[in-house]
Amino acid sequence: MSIEPFMQRALLAALVMGPLCGFMGVFVTARRMSFFSDTIAHAALAGVALGFWLGVKDPTLPMIIFSLAVALLILWLKERTDLLNDTIMALLLSGSVAFGMVVLSLLKGFRNELDRFLFGDIFSVGWGDVQVAMGVAVGVSYLLFRHLNALALLTAHEDLAHVSGIPVRRMNQLFVILLTVTVALSIRLLGIVLVTSLIVVPPATARNLAQSLRQQIILSLFLGLSGAVGGVALSYPLNLPGGPCITLTLIAFFIFSLLISKLIRPNRSSPCPL
Amino acid sequence: MEIAFRQPKDVVVEVTGLQVRLGDTQVLKGVSLRVRKGSIVALIGPNGSGKTTLLRCLLGLQPVDSGSVRLFGKVPGPESFRRVGYVPQRLQVDRSFILTVREFLAIRLPATRGWFWRSTHFIDAQLKELVADLDVERLLDRPLAGLSGGQLQRVLICSSLLNKPELLLLDEPTAGVDTPGEKDFYELISTVHRRLGLTVVLVSHDLSMVYRHASWVYALNGVICCEGPPEDVMSADSLKQAYGIHMTPYQHHHHVH
Repeated sequence: MSIEPFMQRALLAALVMGPLCGFMGVFVTARRMSFFSDTIAHAALAGVALGFWLGVKDPTLPMIIFSLAVALLILWLKERTDLLNDTIMALLLSGSVAFGMVVLSLLKGFRNELDRFLFGDIFSVGWGDVQVAMGVAVGVSYLLFRHLNALALLTAHEDLAHVSGIPVRRMNQLFVILLTVTVALSIRLLGIVLVTSLIVVPPATARNLAQSLRQQIILSLFLGLSGAVGGVALSYPLNLPGGPCITLTLIAFFIFSLLISKLIRPNRSSPCPL
Repeated sequence: MEIAFRQPKDVVVEVTGLQVRLGDTQVLKGVSLRVRKGSIVALIGPNGSGKTTLLRCLLGLQPVDSGSVRLFGKVPGPESFRRVGYVPQRLQVDRSFILTVREFLAIRLPATRGWFWRSTHFIDAQLKELVADLDVERLLDRPLAGLSGGQLQRVLICSSLLNKPELLLLDEPTAGVDTPGEKDFYELISTVHRRLGLTVVLVSHDLSMVYRHASWVYALNGVICCEGPPEDVMSADSLKQAYGIHMTPYQHHHHVH
């Protein structure tokens, strides 16, 4: 049985971005940055709208640039103001979505494009998108593994990391940049609304089964891959949208892991909160 | 370099005229102190007296308004930090991050930096001596987030000794540790201090343990109110000066220095 080219591209994109999001997610959840990831995903909508306004055919680049600008603005506001993190992110999330919607409604004729970015359209990815995703996945994974010790120590205690000679501020900025690029590229798979599920659910599932950071990273990589590829594979024959199928597959894994963890270690304090 | 020549060789920490303002509050109002090599120095004082701010200045984490801080004759920075072990009050890890004690220690030991790709057997062989000495061996498989206060402090001491420091800085090390755990902890510090010849600076609220284990005490309340051996500083008058209220110093009858 031959696989249609669009399905090949969709499976390859899922195969690449799934594990990358799973890996990244281990540190996102541990550092309580799920809302941060959601904010930069929503900021992408304003980037998409600006891209269309500028007449760009593929708005991926303006989307990444705008998300990065919002991510760095969050860091700047955190350092320079007394505003709480949640407040800063809620402000930028709603502001970006509102701005994006206003620009798109002024442009007219982009209704389908808006749906494509809001809810994802994995079957429309081209070979160019797959190549970019592969390049980014290799680069980001390399940097994550290279700085694994620094990230783990930063997550455990920032001051301890500082005394251990880790450039805390630079490392935080690097992590935010890598996360933003990963989230922005994954929007093609799951859409702005659901992309955070690929970042948050695999590490939460892995947490229910793993007993060390190494196990959690390996499991989360594997779960991200299985959820993304499994969701795409299920969605086509069932004639269902790809993004929601990926999210539901990931959540099915999570529920299964919860049951297993209760069966294997009934006395474990508590499973990972989603 | 000039400062290094001026400073007596046995002075490990030198703070001169240190002033720090946090928001509208002048927390440190001209603090000067010296820590000599091989001593156990305790910084005591009431809440808000600037103990932790002073420690953060030593670690280069707090910008200074005026005055100077020197560790081994140098401004706190990566070079001097190589000779420093730091034990924070607690870690920020929550339940979603299952960093085990083995992984936490392996991250900080140069020989096991590539721990992710190494076998548990290899990592344990590298850590063996230190973890056995500090009775951390049985905790290696446990996640950091699941340790009791006393166990965590033991692991943090172990981790701070991995780079063979000359100076150990401890921030309220027994906050959140029960009373028997506190006693064990201070005995562990004394043993490590004796065996490795370390200089120890600790911020503490626990006057009885300070009395028992410190060789020199600074009572802080924005300024250094008094300093000296514990038996002198912890007289009722000195404590009243530092804490602003009458406190009865700890009396014990079997102290050993």
